[in-house]
Amino acid sequence: MKAPRAADIRQGEGWMAALGYGLATLCVAGVAHLASVLALPHLASRDSFARIAQAVPHLHRFALLPQPAPGAELTPRQDPMLARAACRFDLAGGPVRLRVDLSQLDGLLLLSFHDRQGSTFYAMTDRGALRGRIDIRVVTPRQLEDIQAEDPDDEIPQDLRLVAPGAEGFILAGSLALDGADMESARGRLSLVACASEGDGGAGGG
Amino acid sequence: MGPLLHFVSKSILVALAGAGLGLLATWSALERGASLEIVEAGPWRAAPRAALREADPYTRAGRARSGEIPMAPAEGLAFFASRDDEGAPLDARCDYAIASPVPAARFWTLAPLDAQGAMTATANGRMALTSAQIVRDEAGRFEIVASRQARAGNWLALPAQGPFMLALRLYDAPASAQPAAAARAAMPSLRKGRCA
Repeated sequence: MKAPRAADIRQGEGWMAALGYGLATLCVAGVAHLASVLALPHLASRDSFARIAQAVPHLHRFALLPQPAPGAELTPRQDPMLARAACRFDLAGGPVRLRVDLSQLDGLLLLSFHDRQGSTFYAMTDRGALRGRIDIRVVTPRQLEDIQAEDPDDEIPQDLRLVAPGAEGFILAGSLALDGADMESARGRLSLVACASEGDGGAGGG
Repeated sequence: MGPLLHFVSKSILVALAGAGLGLLATWSALERGASLEIVEAGPWRAAPRAALREADPYTRAGRARSGEIPMAPAEGLAFFASRDDEGAPLDARCDYAIASPVPAARFWTLAPLDAQGAMTATANGRMALTSAQIVRDEAGRFEIVASRQARAGNWLALPAQGPFMLALRLYDAPASAQPAAAARAAMPSLRKGRCA
């Protein structure tokens, strides 16, 4: 067996170095991939929260969202047969209360509660109403403690308390049109849903 | 070039190439609509938990980028199909027969979308069919013809041309609690008919 020549050794070291740099590149790529996937929900500027904020400038009051049309969709892949209204909230000013007048309602009503990233933290339909009513308070953990401290000991609370994951978010109400002619009524049914801030200076409902 | 300078410059190259590769992987995953929690039944696909805070990171990143607000399980379940039962891409030049059953639901809607999932103009200007509009036989069975040409009976108007997708949205559906089982049990067939 011949002794390895100096050139062979140098070449071997070159391959080892290339392999090392290749592996290092893959490691960096993996970290960059994971970091970007995890960071996107916090960085995206046209997420659902931003789109709702663009359509509904005010807080604590439901506003009808524009009916989607080809080339004009506020949020993609929404059901064209669904009329929608949104109420943006900020719990810094106090809990937010949502009430639905179910006596007037016929047809399907959807309610979903979204955090700052647009994720749904609670959802229900009119079928989920307790004792024929929908009365929901969206609260921070601190506000829940305050409310519970004021609860009478001998009564079951009549409202549902939802602890929001953050102070900001939005509530979506949806009403299904059974055909094209029903769309106006479906939009009208959304006026049965009201949202209001219970803060000290909390302005109006609607 | 000294060995240290050599090492530093190579490291910078590794960092840049790695970051580029990683971001490319992210872009390509989101472009494909990657999601780790998909329910499949024939050509129909649903992401039942996509709306939730507990959704997988790819779904959440995709949602942040697109602005989509998916349906939550408590509201119902949305299925999308971009292929027929034979696996061929849906094409508006062809007619399709969509036949019952549909999983149990209080209401459902069936809507055509373009290949990217955007709303698209249809032959009669209507954007969807709902369960309330469907004509059924005595046994409750039905067939919908999806075509860009007007049809008697249950007609779903298609876009004028090109590949398209179908969205089947179930509202107040028990299926959303057990999406995989419900999808296996009862999803509508999607058969290609004549092509122009």
